[in-house]
Amino acid sequence: MSLWAKRLAWGFLAALTIAAVVAPWLPIVDYRAMDADARLLPPGSEGHLLGTDAQGRDLLARLLFGARISLLVGAVGTLVAMLIGLPYGAVAGLRGGRIDRFLMRLADALESVPMVVMVLFLLSILREYRVEMEVIGFGRLQLFLVAIGFLFWLPTARVARAESLRISRLPFVTAARLQGMSTRAQLRRHILPNLWPTLRVMWLLTIPRVILMEAFLSFLGLGVEAPAVSWGGLASDGLAAMNPLVASWWLLALPSAALVLTLLALQQVGRGEDGST
Amino acid sequence: MNARFLRRVLMLLATILLVHAAAFFLMRTTRGGPFDEARALDPQVKLALEQRYGLDDSLAVQYWHALTGLWQGDFGPSLRYREVSVADLLADALPVSFAVGGGALLWGLLFGIPLGMIAAGARRRLLGQSATTLATVLLALPNFVLAGAAIALFSFTLGWLPPAGTGGLAHLFLPSLCLGLPLAAQISLLVRDAASERWQSAGVRHARALGLSGQRLWWAHILKPSLTPVLAFLGPATAAVLTGSLVIERIFALPGLGTFFVEAALNRDYTLALGVTVVYTALLGLATFLADVLLMKLDPRVEALS
Repeated sequence: MSLWAKRLAWGFLAALTIAAVVAPWLPIVDYRAMDADARLLPPGSEGHLLGTDAQGRDLLARLLFGARISLLVGAVGTLVAMLIGLPYGAVAGLRGGRIDRFLMRLADALESVPMVVMVLFLLSILREYRVEMEVIGFGRLQLFLVAIGFLFWLPTARVARAESLRISRLPFVTAARLQGMSTRAQLRRHILPNLWPTLRVMWLLTIPRVILMEAFLSFLGLGVEAPAVSWGGLASDGLAAMNPLVASWWLLALPSAALVLTLLALQQVGRGEDGST
Repeated sequence: MNARFLRRVLMLLATILLVHAAAFFLMRTTRGGPFDEARALDPQVKLALEQRYGLDDSLAVQYWHALTGLWQGDFGPSLRYREVSVADLLADALPVSFAVGGGALLWGLLFGIPLGMIAAGARRRLLGQSATTLATVLLALPNFVLAGAAIALFSFTLGWLPPAGTGGLAHLFLPSLCLGLPLAAQISLLVRDAASERWQSAGVRHARALGLSGQRLWWAHILKPSLTPVLAFLGPATAAVLTGSLVIERIFALPGLGTFFVEAALNRDYTLALGVTVVYTALLGLATFLADVLLMKLDPRVEALS
């Protein structure tokens, strides 16, 4: 059962990723093209398999291009978080003593700041410096990726610290240290390579949280900006378009379904990897 | 215990002060201000406004004002909602957020604990497995998806509950439920794991060997010890409620803290954003603190370990 679910989840994610990657070359309608004659078509309409939104834009195309953003933010945002958290935790664990205490105190302090506070401050400040950032090639999306990475590095740092502490006490590392190997060399030769399996699991477990955060922010209108779309933004539009008179359920239901299925698949894939059931 | 207690209180106060200072200086030293609008204001008008709110003083003086204000619970006037003080806005918004957030925690416990016990007690049967599956699916449902589905079903199709706004318990039902169900999923998984572990423990095996079974076994020997992880979850749960409330309050058009906070941060309403930041940090700190103290009371091993 479990194995079967896992295979299914991997298959779904693989198919989704491929579809997202090749979306620009697929024979689908432009996801930005509005069509006044084809507004709010239900799924199954001719030429619009999944229907259209209030501006007559094709929902299938929008979902596919939304997948690009959601998956990209999930994968790359998590990577950024790891790139910050890994060295931080590894240094704390390996050096120990005062450095460790200081770094971990700092992490504790950051952890006691509610995430919403952090997010809103980060995004509202980044907004003000958008023009300068664009000069050095940092668009809205890249800024967003950095912000996401900045929010999620703490758990990685803690895990990396605990693991590097464990590894640094193993006999072969002790032997290397006693033979005079420098901290940096220990880190590179022994600690980091052995952190890899743990990190793989952390990466898998963090991706769904990051995707959820992106959807949450896009839902609040703080995510990627039009004309780019993400699933959270699509769901937000769908919810705004919902009222008792016009039953345009697909605008909310389909982006939500895409998001939930992806999160479920990621959950299945990460399941059991951390040793739990 | 007392020394530890005091240290935790001091740490909480220090955290609030630090976050307050960090938020204050971050907002003031970065570009953009509350009076920057699409259409630039007349420089003289802007200057007059800044003078009125004391924004032309030196940063140190302004920080001193903010600090003394914090001590007195006075965050000054809102820069966007003219003629209203931040304290008044907070006093209006807090009850709304408390009702929704508290309701969410309640739903979480109310659904989560039985669901977890079912999942543990019947784990070899279809019932228990479906309880686990339900929890896993709920865990993957973002708040806004739940909210959209709930509004479509209960408000638009069945017409039982109002889709938005305030005015009584009926208006709080759906928001707190949508905020609380993901918590219930997490709580149920915590309870399930703890209860399964208890079931296999030497104590429970001994009790069963002595002939204990049924209600007494489940209530006293399995359920009660399984609630410790739930208590420890109080801190993270509060954090989740704070985050989720931003979305939920927007969807249900509730005038709570979250709604004000998003607007304040984007409009650079310094005083209001600072006020909400302090309230959020204090709430999260208090919840974590409370959980720790209760845990220590219930389980002396926690104190001995730390």
